[in-house]
Amino acid sequence: MPMLPKGLEKQLNILDFSLSSLWRRKLKNLSIMLVFALVIFLLGSFQMLTGALTNSADAVLKNTADITIQKMSAGRQEAIPLAYIEKLHSIYGIRAIIPRVWGYYFDESNLANFTIMALDSDSMPDGNKLDLTLAHGHFPKKTETDTVVIGRSVHNILGLGERRIFSLFRPDLSLKSFNMVGLFAQQTDLLTNDLIVMNLSDARDLFNIPPSMATDLCVYVANPSEIETIAKKIAGLLPDTRVLTKKQIQKTYQVVFSWRSGFASICLLTALVAFAILAWDKASGLSPEEKREIGILKILGWETGDILAIRFWESTLVSALAFIIGCTAAYFHVAFFDASLLKPVMVGWSVIHPPFKLLPSVNLADLLLIFTFSVLPYLGATVIPAWRCSTVPPDSVIR
Amino acid sequence: MRPSHLLFIFLLLLTFIDATLYLHAKRMANDLKTDQALQTIAVAGLGLTDLCIATEARYTRHPAVSDPMAPFMDHPGAIEHFPTGSFWNAPTNTETR
Repeated sequence: MPMLPKGLEKQLNILDFSLSSLWRRKLKNLSIMLVFALVIFLLGSFQMLTGALTNSADAVLKNTADITIQKMSAGRQEAIPLAYIEKLHSIYGIRAIIPRVWGYYFDESNLANFTIMALDSDSMPDGNKLDLTLAHGHFPKKTETDTVVIGRSVHNILGLGERRIFSLFRPDLSLKSFNMVGLFAQQTDLLTNDLIVMNLSDARDLFNIPPSMATDLCVYVANPSEIETIAKKIAGLLPDTRVLTKKQIQKTYQVVFSWRSGFASICLLTALVAFAILAWDKASGLSPEEKREIGILKILGWETGDILAIRFWESTLVSALAFIIGCTAAYFHVAFFDASLLKPVMVGWSVIHPPFKLLPSVNLADLLLIFTFSVLPYLGATVIPAWRCSTVPPDSVIR
Repeated sequence: MRPSHLLFIFLLLLTFIDATLYLHAKRMANDLKTDQALQTIAVAGLGLTDLCIATEARYTRHPAVSDPMAPFMDHPGAIEHFPTGSFWNAPTNTETR
């Protein structure tokens, strides 16, 4: 065996001793490591999943409408009159105003909520490329009435199989039939899973909305740097509306899953409380057996520094291994198992469960945060009592 | 074999697993780029504002275009009761009315 430097050889011997000492109490140490890894796994999974969703939202929502106008009445959103478009023509810099009719359709037999979306896609940016987002079929043309494009979950929940015709209820419970002319591709599931896209006239008929009304207006601005100014002008001209800018929409997913959101707080608090109990138990003193061991080592000529080194190695091994195993398991959970433990919490009572094809977000800041909350306090909580014990005269502890 | 050697072998195994995961992440990022190109077209062409994650309540299906009061609007004194409502943070649209 090649000669190692003396200091390194000593540390290796101490490491060997620590590992043997850990192995002697394997049941206790393995269970601590398992609980520790579980807490880190939970925190890590949550952070990787929410980070991935935030990253996806950042990447894909940059092309949303520049300004969205909703009409408000008694604190609620309601249909907006198309006559409002005329009022906005006086604002210089607006490139296009596109009315949309959209809303939710609750399918009572399956308890599923679908999103119905209708607009003149030809006037939208990239409207001519929309067929690329379909697995098969085409988007309904203006002249094609009673035709729809649906998301994959809608197709599954309605149990369409090879069929193309299905019916939805109008508010007066009369049936309206639709012919499915296209199905969204799997790649757009994250956005289109629950969508039913149709013509404006069909959506008005389905929801019983008069032809002079729409759900909201999408405004496109010629110069992106003028979005805020134009939004302010719109808010001045139409005081009974809420004006949302692209920036606000993009900001939404930065806060929706932040550390302050409910579930994250619960996870964090549970982990911290569990850890506080563990640390308190450790810090409140060593067992008589451990004290005896330290006393015997001191009698055999070990220095206080060596005993501290053993304790340091022991707790470093337990906590660092738990950290690595927890984080690795969290990646597996999010990337390969669709974050199946957290998904029920994220989707609640939703009947439509979108498949999460997400790239777990692993960044240094999150890993350091989890490391600081878990590993460092554990090191402190184990080394300090060992130091307190190793400074007392050995004969008093072995007697 | 010394116990430390066993530990090094175990650490090597973990390093190997994590390196494989790193390569997996690189590959997946490339795959997702194609998906995101299509998703960007859907967003632009349909004016979409939100990700389809939870479909149970309108304020978690479309948090970007809902206001923070939406969960409590069902009737006076209404208590928010959808599970996702307690796990999703309300967007802070301070500039909206």
